[in-house]
Amino acid sequence: MPELTRRSLIKTALAGSAAFTLSGCSILPRKAASHSPQQYTGAVGLPGDRFAVGAIAPDGKMLWQSPVNTRCHSGCNRPGTAQVAFFERRPGWAFYVLNSTSGERLHRIIAAEGEHFVGHGVFSPDGRYLYAPANRYEPGEGIIAVYDSHRGYQRANTFELNGIGPHQITLHPDGQTLIVGLGGILTHPDYDRIKLNLPTMKPALVMMDRGSGEILGRFQPSHHQLSTRHVDAAPDGTLYAAYQYQGPAHELPPLVARYRNGHYEEIDLGEDIHRALGNYIASIVAHPENDLVAIASPIGGTALIFNSRSGAIIEKAAIPDCAGVEALAGGDFLVSSGRGKLVRIGKGKPAKEIASMPVQWDHHLV
Amino acid sequence: MTRLTLAIFLASSLAASPLMAANANNTDTPTAEYRKQWHSDILTGYQNLAAQSQALATQATTYCQAPSSEGFEQTQQAWLEAFLAWQQVRFVDFGPVEQGNRAWQFQFWPDPKNLVARKASHLLKGDTPITPEKVSESGVAVQGFPMAEYLLYDQAFNNGEEALPTGRSCKLLVAVTRHIAGNGQSLANDWKGFQSNYLGSHQYTDTTIRSAMAGLEILEERRLATPMGLRGNGKRSVYAADAWRSEASLAAIDASVRGLKQSFLPAFSKLLNDREQTELAEQIEQGFNEVLANFPELDRPMAPLLADDNAYKMLQSLYIDVTQLTSLVNDRAAVELGVVRGFNSSDGD
Repeated sequence: MPELTRRSLIKTALAGSAAFTLSGCSILPRKAASHSPQQYTGAVGLPGDRFAVGAIAPDGKMLWQSPVNTRCHSGCNRPGTAQVAFFERRPGWAFYVLNSTSGERLHRIIAAEGEHFVGHGVFSPDGRYLYAPANRYEPGEGIIAVYDSHRGYQRANTFELNGIGPHQITLHPDGQTLIVGLGGILTHPDYDRIKLNLPTMKPALVMMDRGSGEILGRFQPSHHQLSTRHVDAAPDGTLYAAYQYQGPAHELPPLVARYRNGHYEEIDLGEDIHRALGNYIASIVAHPENDLVAIASPIGGTALIFNSRSGAIIEKAAIPDCAGVEALAGGDFLVSSGRGKLVRIGKGKPAKEIASMPVQWDHHLV
Repeated sequence: MTRLTLAIFLASSLAASPLMAANANNTDTPTAEYRKQWHSDILTGYQNLAAQSQALATQATTYCQAPSSEGFEQTQQAWLEAFLAWQQVRFVDFGPVEQGNRAWQFQFWPDPKNLVARKASHLLKGDTPITPEKVSESGVAVQGFPMAEYLLYDQAFNNGEEALPTGRSCKLLVAVTRHIAGNGQSLANDWKGFQSNYLGSHQYTDTTIRSAMAGLEILEERRLATPMGLRGNGKRSVYAADAWRSEASLAAIDASVRGLKQSFLPAFSKLLNDREQTELAEQIEQGFNEVLANFPELDRPMAPLLADDNAYKMLQSLYIDVTQLTSLVNDRAAVELGVVRGFNSSDGD
């Protein structure tokens, strides 16, 4: 078969650059959360429509790349172990459990019949239970599927979200409350990614007891098309939600919300910022060491840090295709992009590219 | 998606200041004049779609009132003309065409599970009356050109008991073509109403350029490379193309490229020229002409070209021209203008 396009040239070029370059400092900063392994793991796209999960060490080496069957989205480290789980991108038909030291595949767990994963999950603090948002796609019901790692990831429980389209999940610092971004968008795997219910969406930030599945709180955004996809919890229990607006691009509604002391309120970063974000946020991370929150938008090619109390923009950078955000020890953030860049950004520290590698980082780093 | 982003990745790694290379928001050039032209050119395309869709619905009604083999062929012809009118504006993936998934309503594709045939079978076998309301509530696989194409062209269906002009099939054809016509008319009207928002919001300049880039990428990757066996399992298969039932896959590509040339290129060329990218603008114009020079010779069924290695060369020649055009717009112009589609930005998650 004649291969007459630039594609082959690109492949060759990428294959030739097996090592990636580190510009500036050659040591990546440490992660902020001390209990996490000191490495960054993310789903990657590779040349030739191949996909993997990859990890890089603080000294800037690619530790491993573990091939996966299809594109993955995000994952979660398993506390107390050297294991990391990664989820296939929506509609995700499986998740992987990998040895986070070697990348060796330990499990590939297939979604239950009639369900698919959505790219995210979180473990219980003791590392036993994995909570995975999922879509029961015929009736269009959002659920949290609970898996027991002590029993080979058998299904242990199912919690109803009473809503559609769950996406990211995280754990409240109380160790007991699950925080779920309920995007509100109905999809069905037979219909590609068609959004089937835009006029009737009911997105929400949901708090759920991880033992009983009881819904403890449900907070709805100011507009029914503000798809509440991404969430984070600060150590003091303040919750953050980040939206992806499904209405027309010339409308510029708030994109971030905060829940604190019983109050859910949206933070208006201003129309210019909303425009720069393209009405879309792919990640939100509250820094555990300070009052800064970072968000990234690949649609807008913009990452920024704002003050969680005042909403004031602290730092902002144009980073094409940026999506992943991690908090770094010392108060800065690390942003990853679909172009293989890792960029450090902090208060009084404009964005600085610290690594560039021949992979495409998918949305999230863990 | 991967190919494009890798290419951009490579290109951007050569840029002197990668962090700023793609910041399109720091240009102060007033861009409303480009959008004014785009709005007018796309409106022309939408009005053509509305007119051809109405003609299809009228022809289908006429045929079903007094069926004849001549009327059947006229209905097929009306379907093709309306479908090609849609192909010309198919790249527009923002604005009123997003409302109610209108783009998907016009053309549900790809359809790897053959939902169109399954839904048709289900509707035709049932007892429930086939009404406009039934079509409206039956989902995008029922509501557009592929369903009408199935009724008019599917060989197995046309040899079966329910083939046109049996009562239920005709009811479905009329209801579906009227649904298409209704959508065509509303889309043209809504696009007019969208004018002030479109002209008043500068981010729609990038949005419009990205829509053309996405249209070219889908054309190259999914409408051409995949059926040619250059992707996935490497097998040539006409069923991976769109409009294989009507054998209009290649005519549709012709129409889509002509549509981009008519509705997108004029303002885009002006924008490139204003940014002193005269040479690139000329190359892109030339690229369009080279793709279109494959037609009308290639306005023919794709399946025989996939089956014969010698004939396959004609497809390869088209494919090369398409990749060169896509490269000029999606890689070179994208980098020059700082408008990129990426691994994550195209993902929507």
